[in-house]
Amino acid sequence: MIEKDIVCEAGLEHNFLEEIYSLPGGAEIKKCIQCGTCTGSCPTSYVMDYGPRKIFSLIRAGFRDEVLNSNTIWFCSSCYTCTVRCPKEIKITDVMYALKRLAIKEGRTKGRKTAVLSQTFVSMVNKYGRNHETELMVRYILKAEFFNALKFVTQGWNLLSNGRLPFKPHRIKHINEIRKILKKVDELGEI
Amino acid sequence: MDSEERIGVYICHCGTNIASKVDIAEIVEFAKGMKGVIVAKDYKFMCSDPGQGLIEKDIKEYNLNRIVVASCSPLMHEKTFRKVCERSGLNPYLFTMANIREQCSWVHIDENAATEKAKALVAAAIRRSAFLEPLERREVSINPTTLVVGGGIAGIQASLDLAEAGKKVVLVEREPSIGGHMAKFDKTFPTLDCAACILTPKMVQVGQHPNIELFTYSEVEDVSGYVGNFKVKIRKKARYVDENLCNGCGMCMEKCPGTRVPRKGNVHERLSLGPTSAIYLPSMQAVPAVPVIDRNSCIYFQKGKCRICEKVCERDAINFDMEDEFHEFEVGNIIIAAGFQTFDPSVVIRYRYGLLPNVLTAMDFEIMNCASGSTGGKILKSDGTEPKSVGIIHCVGSRDKRYHEYCSRVCCMYALKFAHLIKEKTNAEVYNFYIDLRCFGKGYEEFYDRLLGEDVRFVRGKVGEITDLAIHPGEQGKLIIRVEDTLIGAVRRVPVDMVILATGLEAPEGLAELAKKCNVSVGKDGFIIERHPKLGPVATATDGVFIAGACQSPKDIPDTVAQASAASSAVLSMIMRGKIEIESATAEIDEERCSGCRICNDLCPYMAISFEEEKGVSVINEALCKGCGTCVAACPSNAITAKHFTNEQIFSEIEGLLQ
Repeated sequence: MIEKDIVCEAGLEHNFLEEIYSLPGGAEIKKCIQCGTCTGSCPTSYVMDYGPRKIFSLIRAGFRDEVLNSNTIWFCSSCYTCTVRCPKEIKITDVMYALKRLAIKEGRTKGRKTAVLSQTFVSMVNKYGRNHETELMVRYILKAEFFNALKFVTQGWNLLSNGRLPFKPHRIKHINEIRKILKKVDELGEI
Repeated sequence: MDSEERIGVYICHCGTNIASKVDIAEIVEFAKGMKGVIVAKDYKFMCSDPGQGLIEKDIKEYNLNRIVVASCSPLMHEKTFRKVCERSGLNPYLFTMANIREQCSWVHIDENAATEKAKALVAAAIRRSAFLEPLERREVSINPTTLVVGGGIAGIQASLDLAEAGKKVVLVEREPSIGGHMAKFDKTFPTLDCAACILTPKMVQVGQHPNIELFTYSEVEDVSGYVGNFKVKIRKKARYVDENLCNGCGMCMEKCPGTRVPRKGNVHERLSLGPTSAIYLPSMQAVPAVPVIDRNSCIYFQKGKCRICEKVCERDAINFDMEDEFHEFEVGNIIIAAGFQTFDPSVVIRYRYGLLPNVLTAMDFEIMNCASGSTGGKILKSDGTEPKSVGIIHCVGSRDKRYHEYCSRVCCMYALKFAHLIKEKTNAEVYNFYIDLRCFGKGYEEFYDRLLGEDVRFVRGKVGEITDLAIHPGEQGKLIIRVEDTLIGAVRRVPVDMVILATGLEAPEGLAELAKKCNVSVGKDGFIIERHPKLGPVATATDGVFIAGACQSPKDIPDTVAQASAASSAVLSMIMRGKIEIESATAEIDEERCSGCRICNDLCPYMAISFEEEKGVSVINEALCKGCGTCVAACPSNAITAKHFTNEQIFSEIEGLLQ
């Protein structure tokens, strides 16, 4: 959260704006008119440090740390409601992804379970060409919820007994091709 | 009461406006019981076609000779019902209106009390109507010449419209050149077309039009008369240069050793003028292109020696003995297009205007940015270097109860225009500090969108203060804007090199006096009040006096031009009609009772009363009398009667109210 009572411009990072503009989908936030449709429509805004509207405002003012350290970007559940409703047709969800990537790149993911989940998910896809729920859950719990692992036992048992957690991963054909795609996307900075 | 009176009473529901508070049925019964009332009826909307038809039918059927309608204000529908009477062969002055909407149902909560009050109002109208007398309708002809006051874009547009229609126009402008504020602008929003390119041809057209008689450096001294027949007196201030002889060669200005002194502390004038000679042209595009001598700066006028301009002028156009001249005209209509002036922000001490050299007003910036300004259109700080960052503060003097409560309507858009021009010319960082961005016109929101794309920064919050006291790194030598960024919820200190105050528009100096001369009123905001805020935007409460442009309320150029054309078309409609009906309810002097004291002569605001020496009595010129009643109240011998407001009529009305 913003901690300083009075913010002097020297303490802000004006390059942040250009940095965000250069991210895929980032340039569109220039056109934001701060109407609040996004925050007003966001189903998870109630747990966010700042709603998406304020995130854009902070970006434009140069509050780099506040934006990249906020939980907002991690609580975006990619439901795309904001993107559908934005009167300026800003692809808000895409911007959130761009911010996530930037935060990961800078190692600002300490204690962000969502970051672990999304990184694990991508590695699953990279490995099998599609998701493997069981391995995803195990790896995620070991990484992010190690001390809470026992909490997941009942839920895991229920899923298992209903056949929702297959032991064997399903591999797609021509896995190398999807890996090539992912590699290319990664090079472009889109993951 | 004369038993011959046959009164018809009509009570209007006005939808639910009246009927929801007043028991209509009870009023109808009550009216039926009054003396002389032949018929009393009610209807949902009396002003509608069937409502009017009802009255017409009754007048014929019951042979009615007095009509009372209890409905809204006479301002709204008195004319409507008078016409109904006329169509049915009844003198329109035999109609009386009782206002049971504005003065009753709209202002009362208790239904019983409202019904009682409505009864009293209706009774008053009925009692009064019995004493009404038919009055003769009067018509006057309309002089086809029009006076236009103000030579800004509004006055120019209105004058050209009328002149093109073949009607004579007298255009009066108090500055030495026409063009007004628009002539000082470089670009206009949102299209960014060049102000001079679109305005100058119109200015030249005004100067050359055979139907326009142009008086610059002149003011309206006096207006008398009435619709169709105004007499105006114009004071042509001495410019010390003969307009007929001067050919605009400019030699006088070249040789003048004097320097025109800008008014003290006026950055705007310092910027616009730079060092100019004491004999000067307001701008290169001035119409007429005739210089003026500024008495306060002229060495001859101040020290008694010099007269160099006189010597160098080959046409002998310089005349130091010139005095103010007076011209009189008869005109049929008047269009007031007196424009606006910008708010002086030096009273907003926290913005340090006049104290910090790089704090400018919008007009300062306009003039600096204009190619004909002293910097040649370059945007420069006071030290002559280009700013690297500029802050534009919106709503200075507007939306603030301490200065002007209203929104000035143009500042948001010109601030955006400034931001664009600064970006374009200097590539400086531009901040806009705003409360709301009001981009309401055609293409305005799109312009805002364009600016967003140009990386102009928008900070929502009214600036608390501007200071040059640096307390953080990076603030040295800068102007620091302290503002709450209300969209973030933090107080920010933004250092910039230059600040532009988006000063609001206010009624120009002297507008109230001009309005008084023309017998129209100004509102508490200082602007002239239109006849109706929606349906009568160019007319005023005085027939024959119209308004156009920012003297009615702050306006941008498109709206001003639209209103100017609307005003000229309203005037044309008057001229084409040729004649207009005027008030029949005038005052009348009983010669037998008049003592010849002449008190009324001076009191009459329309100068309608004169003294007849032979008979030793005062007489009223009915053509000039507006029936205001001032003389009636003042007459010590009770010799004057106001037609339609006789003592009998008024006393019976009071009795009705109290019965």
